[in-house]
Amino acid sequence: MELVIDSGARLPAPAARASMRSVASNDLSDGELICLTAEGDGDAFEILYRRYARPMFGLALRRLGDRGRAEDAVQETFASIWRAAGSYRPERGPGGPWLYAVARNAIIDRSRARNEPAVEAPDTESNDPGPPELAERDWVAWRVHRALEELPESQRNVIELAYWSGLSQSEVATYLGIPLGTVKTRTRAALARLGDVLDDLEGSE
Amino acid sequence: MNREPDFRELVGDDVEAEERERLERVHELLVAAGPPPELPPSLADPDAEYSEPQPYEFLPRRRAGAMLALAAAIALIAFLGGFVAGHRNGAQFNSLGSAAMHGTKAAPSASATISWEERDASGNWPLKLVARNLPALPRNAHYEMYLTREGKRIASCGSFASGGRTVTVRLNAPYTTGRLGWVVTREVRGSPAQAVVLTT
Repeated sequence: MELVIDSGARLPAPAARASMRSVASNDLSDGELICLTAEGDGDAFEILYRRYARPMFGLALRRLGDRGRAEDAVQETFASIWRAAGSYRPERGPGGPWLYAVARNAIIDRSRARNEPAVEAPDTESNDPGPPELAERDWVAWRVHRALEELPESQRNVIELAYWSGLSQSEVATYLGIPLGTVKTRTRAALARLGDVLDDLEGSE
Repeated sequence: MNREPDFRELVGDDVEAEERERLERVHELLVAAGPPPELPPSLADPDAEYSEPQPYEFLPRRRAGAMLALAAAIALIAFLGGFVAGHRNGAQFNSLGSAAMHGTKAAPSASATISWEERDASGNWPLKLVARNLPALPRNAHYEMYLTREGKRIASCGSFASGGRTVTVRLNAPYTTGRLGWVVTREVRGSPAQAVVLTT
């Protein structure tokens, strides 16, 4: 699928990209990758994509409730990141929240583009979560899904099977064909690693 | 059924209090966050679209318009071709009724419509499932639909392997009466565990 980008923003010329150092790697923080992206580094942009495509798609899916529109919102978000990376100021905070804000704005734009009739306010109080709760839930999911991308595949598998496939530890062991002790070791290591990544995301970069 | 994992089972008892507290916080965040979605193919393969700047080059507007028109024409031809082929092969489905299915915690954004025809002379009951937003499956896994009566599974209606935006499958069940319903489960080969992803 082609990206649709407003013609007002020109992408950096290839020469600018060629002038960049080839330093983009998984060790760099989100903020550093955004700065490199601002200078036209395609590798840095690709690493950001791998880290954030799934959290962004999850956020868009929860907000828009439609996979097709969520897909479009993710593409628009990355187009915006490529365009607007130069406006990121590392001294104002880490890159993760900045990326979250870009994604949220793209999703809101897509949500507004939908022509829906006005809904009348219900007479009775709703038990559904309100905007603050939804925002908090989105932010939690965003950080957790982002952190999952940092796990090695062997650890991510045990977490996904245990948490979202309804398998017990013994069943995970059977499914993966590994000893139960290995499942437990990987699970504990995965939780510890997730804790580290989540701490990093919450702290400064 | 999908269930919340037991933290104690996951980490065991031989963890120091401080570390246990930290891991438990991560556990709670994982439960609160829910599963990350499967990426659709167009997003899952960034190498095709994002690795080099070339994909961001714009087509001239007139050419982009022509490409869109061509794509629309191809889509129309494909649709009409499928429609004609479907009718020619007797693929019509004469629905007598339908019921909505909704996603569970294991697939919250999934939904489906189950339709049924009149029972045939052999006592079979043709069904058609149109499911939307089922998560993509890992290897060695498939979806299976069951007919239920009074909430209990009484027969398999068949299995299918697909995820993505919309999938339409023809299934079958032995004709039955009573308070009926359906569930769709995600099943992993070699594992007794099943996660219900859709239910009426």
